[in-house]
Order: sequence, then C-alpha cells, then structure tokens
Amino acid sequence: MSLTLAIAVGLVMGIAFGFALEKSRVFEPGIIVGQMQLRNFIMLKVFLTAVATGAVVLAVLNGFGYVKLQPKAALYAADIIGGLILGVGIALAGACPGTTLAQVGVGYRDALFTLLGGIAGAVAFSYAQPALSTSFLGQGGGRLIFTDLIGIPYWVGALLLAAALVAILVALEKWKPWRDEMGGDVDGNLPQGHSSSGSKMFAQPAE
Amino acid sequence: MLMQKAWSPYVAGIFIGLLQIPAFLLIETALGASSSYVTIGGLVASWIDPSILKIDYVARHVAATAKNWWQVALVIGIAVGAFASMKLSGATRQPISPIWQRALGTASPAKRYALAFGAGFIMLVGARIADGCTSGHGLSGVAQLAVGSTVAVAAMFAGGIGAAMLLLRRI
Repeated sequence: MSLTLAIAVGLVMGIAFGFALEKSRVFEPGIIVGQMQLRNFIMLKVFLTAVATGAVVLAVLNGFGYVKLQPKAALYAADIIGGLILGVGIALAGACPGTTLAQVGVGYRDALFTLLGGIAGAVAFSYAQPALSTSFLGQGGGRLIFTDLIGIPYWVGALLLAAALVAILVALEKWKPWRDEMGGDVDGNLPQGHSSSGSKMFAQPAE
Repeated sequence: MLMQKAWSPYVAGIFIGLLQIPAFLLIETALGASSSYVTIGGLVASWIDPSILKIDYVARHVAATAKNWWQVALVIGIAVGAFASMKLSGATRQPISPIWQRALGTASPAKRYALAFGAGFIMLVGARIADGCTSGHGLSGVAQLAVGSTVAVAAMFAGGIGAAMLLLRRI
C-alpha cells in the first residue's frame, strides 16, 4: 500500500477510534483514575468488550486464512518492568498513549503536557534503546501465543476467550450498571463515597 | 446516536474491536498507539541531533513505511474524532478535569501540568520498554492470545492500581 493511502486509512480509522473513545467516555481522567482506584469499571468494560470483539474478528479472519497474526515477542522482564512503569504513568496522567490524543481533542489542556512528556519519553528511551536491548530487558522467547503452547487452533482459543469475557462482562454489568458510573457530566466525576449500590448514588451528599 | 453524550461501553467497545478488521486487512498490523511517539519524537529530535537517526531503532520508526505513518495518522485522527464527537453532542470540557483537584489536593494548573508532563514521560518510557501500550499489548495482544502481551497488561494494571492508590487521593 502506498504511503499516502496508508495515511488516509489511518486518519479515517483514527477518527472512528477517537469518536468511539469519546462516546464511551473511557478517555476521561475521571474514568481512568477511577478504574485504577477500583471504583469505576467503565474502562474495563470498554477494554474487555473491544478485546472480545477483536478476538472474534481475528478468529474468523485468521481461521479462514485471510490474515496472519501479528503477536509481539514475549520478553518477560521487559513486559513486566515496562508494564509496571507504563501503569504508573497511566494513573498519574489519567490517560494512556492513545487516549491522550482524545483528551487533546476535547480541549483538556493538561493533555498537551502529557503528549509533550510522552514524546520526550519516547526520545529518551530511543537514546537508551541500543544499551537496553542488549541487557536483560532484551531477553525472552519468541512470538508465543497461548493456543500454540497447548496445541489447539488459534480460532478455538480466541472464541473461548471471547465467551469467557462475555460472561465476565455480564457479571460486571450486573454488579455495577454502566449508567451509574458516568457521573452527571459524563466524566466519571462521581459524588465522593459513592459505592456500587447504583440507584442510591445521588442520595448521598456530594463532596 | 452521533449526538448522544455517551454510548454504552459495550457498543463503543464493539466499535473499537471492529477496527482490527481494516488494521489487519489493509495495513497488515494490529491496532497500536505508542510507536507513533517514537516516529514523531525521533523525527523532531533529528532536527536538533541528526545523529539520532543512526540508532537503528529510531531509523526503523521514522522510515517512510505504511505502518509507521499509518499509526501517526491514526493517533492524529483520534484527536479529530474525539473533537467531532464532542461538538456533535454539545458537551463542553473545562481546561482541566475537575477530578484532579480532588486527586492531587491542589487546584494549581501549574502543578497539574508538571505532573502531566512527568506522567507522559514515564508512560512512554514504560510503553517502549514493554514494546506496547494499552492498545498494542492490551486490545491487540490479548485478543491474539499473545503470552507476553497478557503479562504486560497484568503488569500495567498492577502498576496503575498501585500508583492510583498510593500516590493519588481517592476521587
């Protein structure tokens, strides 16, 4: 595919992605910090639904041979250490690398600083990368996927994962209905002391 | 539907998951976001320090390939799409989310901006060490049943929960 066409496809897909992120409210700092403080589960609901959908899509596309999977290599030390650092950054930014751009789009000014910090972080990592890649962080296995480890076709495992995630989401929604987690300004800013008991949320004094 | 302020997380999640179809079929890659920070950062840094392009990792990310610049276009599109969605719904946002005053115990924009810059910095250092973020490892890696991605996502939530509980006030 030509570079120009790839950029056009990226823009159209990005607009759709940004639209869905905004409608789901998952880009809101209140939703992301609320998730990390285990008091708001919108982020997990959007995330697990998107994973389940992606798994079904890839089960079909890969199962019928239309596409090859593109799993990343399993570099356990890097995955754990990098994942932990990334998680700390997500909590303090109230954003992840993708949703930072959605925050910029809706006019959150602090997100511009998150974005600039992110670019600076990527440059800093780039200078360190040649040294890091030869350290223990570069050690690990290949492009492992769970279904290869247990010897079943990918599409079977992907559909099983999707089924398990749907069951988890049904339970999650029963426990915490999503409408109760949005807040009055759909930003996850809920009255303090709000618990999972849903319908009582506005009966409690705010702040 | 386009004018609603919020969709069900399940509708939005399905919508996002379906984006894997054009990603795999047209670009032969999975959804991701954090590589684009290396592409843009590497390009900008090369104006000041051209020798950064001698680092193979940077050269690979700034190269004029469909995958590199597709992802840059994708993240720019995210900002455009979020802006359009907000305008259609008539929502307005304050310059800083009101949750930060509670989470940080201060209303100072300067303190929030400084924290946001630092948080963005460590977010991308972490994402690049792990070779992926919430999109690449999370949405795409877990859906592909990738072992390393599943480990990375577990670590991401562990780090995020730990920091949000210990370093921020309850929102």
